[in-house]
Amino acid sequence: MNSSERAAAGDSTTGTAAGDRRSFFSLVAMGLGLTGAYGTFAAMAARFLYPAKPPDRRWMYVASVTEFAHGGGVLFSAPNGQAISVTRLTANGTVEDFIALSSICPHLGCKVHWETQNKRFFCPCHNGAFNVEGISTAGPPFDAKQNLARFPLKVENGNLFIEVAVA
Amino acid sequence: MNAIRQWFGERLPISPDQVLEVLDEPVPNHLKRWWFCLGGTPAYLFVVQIFTGILLAFYYQPAQTTAYESVRFITTEAAYGWYFRGVHKWAATLMIASVVLHQMRVYFTGAYRKPRELNWMIGMCLLLCTLVIGFTGYSLVYEQLSYWGATVAANICDTVPVVGGLAKRMLLAGDAYNTETVSRFFILHAAVLPASMIFLLAIHIGLIRMQGITEFRFEDEPVQDKQHFPFFPDHFYTELIMGLVLMILLSVLATVLPVTMGPRADPLVTPDVIKPEWFFYATFRWLKLFSGTFAVLSMGLIVFIMFVWPFIDGWIRRYTRFAEASVWIGIVGASLIIGLTVWEAAVQH
Repeated sequence: MNSSERAAAGDSTTGTAAGDRRSFFSLVAMGLGLTGAYGTFAAMAARFLYPAKPPDRRWMYVASVTEFAHGGGVLFSAPNGQAISVTRLTANGTVEDFIALSSICPHLGCKVHWETQNKRFFCPCHNGAFNVEGISTAGPPFDAKQNLARFPLKVENGNLFIEVAVA
Repeated sequence: MNAIRQWFGERLPISPDQVLEVLDEPVPNHLKRWWFCLGGTPAYLFVVQIFTGILLAFYYQPAQTTAYESVRFITTEAAYGWYFRGVHKWAATLMIASVVLHQMRVYFTGAYRKPRELNWMIGMCLLLCTLVIGFTGYSLVYEQLSYWGATVAANICDTVPVVGGLAKRMLLAGDAYNTETVSRFFILHAAVLPASMIFLLAIHIGLIRMQGITEFRFEDEPVQDKQHFPFFPDHFYTELIMGLVLMILLSVLATVLPVTMGPRADPLVTPDVIKPEWFFYATFRWLKLFSGTFAVLSMGLIVFIMFVWPFIDGWIRRYTRFAEASVWIGIVGASLIIGLTVWEAAVQH
């Protein structure tokens, strides 16, 4: 006896169960269809809103290597306005002699400055301190193990170049 | 679940049953026919327009120097920008088409008659808002055709006696297209008109709910005891299916016929062939057929007659023996609009 025969024979319980099952599956199918369709649309919208491309980065000329004395440095201004401290730490004749550090404190974005007498970068906002290599030594950045951001450098034909965001 | 229901129940002076009762409008059986979904179609497309419009506004920069470049960025660089701009453009096209079809359906079935005259007039306001929002949206691209289209439209306003000059200056924010114009179009397109349309739609739907949907019975319909079916879930599911079909259609159109960009607007060079968007073809042809002021005033008169048509029709039915005159007038009017549109589309000048 199939379900329709059963229903005709008065087996209303089975008929209702089949109806319930059918309506349950159609509800699930509809829910999945709607979630799939509008979900895809929402995912595309989220991707559309996410910044379209990472900032364009380029290699830029800093200075001739010979212009740097041992321990000396320059303040390089990137096209996006960021100030970068470029310092010569050693004199081995390689790019490893140099270090380029962001002047923005990783704690809350204040500007750090170099304190010659203490040989450290100091952030006046919350007394954060960093050594000459940008490693945090005191204050909230030290507690959170946050260091100054480093920028890639390269030496070509005796000239020092830095890779920075241009926009 | 009961706890949540109770929490809201203690704070809101309305129960879920009362909300359902408001939504659960009895829908006449004839609405099972698909072409009676034409009212819900533009409403759904309007929601699509709001959603995609907000997305596009994240990148669009409404200034003369940046508008074109930002649209190019959206179209060619932003992730899925081509898709959302395409959906926005095609939804606008379908929205205008479905609004016109919806109005024709209401007209030819006489659904505007007493007591629904006011709702017809609200519908007319919505039609005009839809056309203006289409025009301002097209102008935002700041390509040659949209720039010169806006210039021509402003000068059409100028030909209206007495108030024309003021209307032109208000539209362009000056005597000619200038640095303030694009931002003015943007605010009209993205704030003033959508807000007005939401307000009008609320009244439109509210009036339908209060007055009920016009009752029809088609000859081939079997006589049933039940003349109505529930809005929820029956009609709601129909609208849900319509929504998904529309999304598929919009996605296909945006992909197969993607949006393009014409050359950037050049205020010094008018293109050889200048045309508005398709929904203004009939008016554009009309303007070419008659002198400026006559053409504009006659169009104004036609719009006015359309506005007050339920009352004119009531007068004709009451005092003349041409009770079905509206059908023939409608056929002539629709043929005229279609004819002018096809004529303008078929020729270059």
